[in-house]
Amino acid sequence: MALKELSSLEKCLGLKKPNKYSTQGEKKVPVLQNNQGSALVGLVTIASHLVCEAQRTELLGDSAEQRAVVQQWLEYRVTRLDGCSKDEVKVILKELNQYLEDKVYMAGNCFTLADALMYYGIHHIVMELAVEEKERYLNVTRWFDHIQHYPGVRHHLPPVVVLRNRVYPSSQH
Amino acid sequence: MKLFVSEGNPHCVKVLVVLELTGVKCDVQLVNHEDKVVPFLNRPVLPVLLLPSGQHLFSPNAICQYLFEVGGKEASNSSSQFLEWEATELQPVLIQALHMVALQGKTHDAGLVLKGSLSWLEQCLSKRRTQFLTAETVTVADIVLWAAFYPILADPGFSADLGELQLVRDWFERVGLIPACVRASQKVLQGKGLESLKNFLKKQPTPHTQRKDSQPSTN
Repeated sequence: MALKELSSLEKCLGLKKPNKYSTQGEKKVPVLQNNQGSALVGLVTIASHLVCEAQRTELLGDSAEQRAVVQQWLEYRVTRLDGCSKDEVKVILKELNQYLEDKVYMAGNCFTLADALMYYGIHHIVMELAVEEKERYLNVTRWFDHIQHYPGVRHHLPPVVVLRNRVYPSSQH
Repeated sequence: MKLFVSEGNPHCVKVLVVLELTGVKCDVQLVNHEDKVVPFLNRPVLPVLLLPSGQHLFSPNAICQYLFEVGGKEASNSSSQFLEWEATELQPVLIQALHMVALQGKTHDAGLVLKGSLSWLEQCLSKRRTQFLTAETVTVADIVLWAAFYPILADPGFSADLGELQLVRDWFERVGLIPACVRASQKVLQGKGLESLKNFLKKQPTPHTQRKDSQPSTN
């Protein structure tokens, strides 16, 4: 899972030479052996390293504040979203839905690594949502649809159909 | 900028140490564990840093990194790796161990739960050639790991279990001597050690005791 994601990220970043990864532990934490002989361990650490390698550091945020917000959502992805229980999924969708209410991207006004990794991590969840649920978490769905159409992001994942017109009457408005 | 902290919450130790070390100007407000500071999060989470833009930072490690950066110190690959390990691997077992020691009095079991993480850290320390985890001076990685381990490693009942882990013990003492660490731990835990964590721990979701975490090798 994490490895496919890293390879999609490499393509998204325009890195020509694919890296070889291994995993360690029960949770299959990705490991990147780099040429200095020391290994980089962990999805967030490796993904941030790839961004730097591709000289696209703006994807980590272009100010200290934005960098912190990107970091926070990257951490949320690996600590909360990954391996969460069914009950927890609803909580996460609710939180993200509220957070994204007035936002186009996860951090600031442009696409960052937080959008890419959150999209990769939540794809299997959004894919399973019924139309009604997609409408309940409207802001998540809107953000998701935006990111899946963002140039070069989707790669290994199938597109998820998002209806642009509401089918069910909303109780939230 | 405003930092919200609560007493008896070990994550607040991290951010208060970093705030003092970096000298970043920021108001600190003491609130209750139950206070919901971040509007979009389902349950109360602390510490929280309210940024000048009005955004909330609710990840203690992201807050620490931010303060270090604003204070003029940039994070390296190796420190970000320690932070990721702390959040994904250490925290789940640590919260379990804290539950065991502070609420159930099972000091021995807590030692077993933490054994893998402590030996992993011992291995990391044996490979480095610097005073601290990633450099000759203290970095964000040292503070985050030190503060995470602090309530349990500083507990007199637990210290016996450190046994062979001499490097961890030395490193832990070295970081603990920093005045900012002394003051922040005193402020949050009020010199009452694990006792002061009880209220915080009761508010946390029950840790999954059935889950076994395999520890990564350091290769």
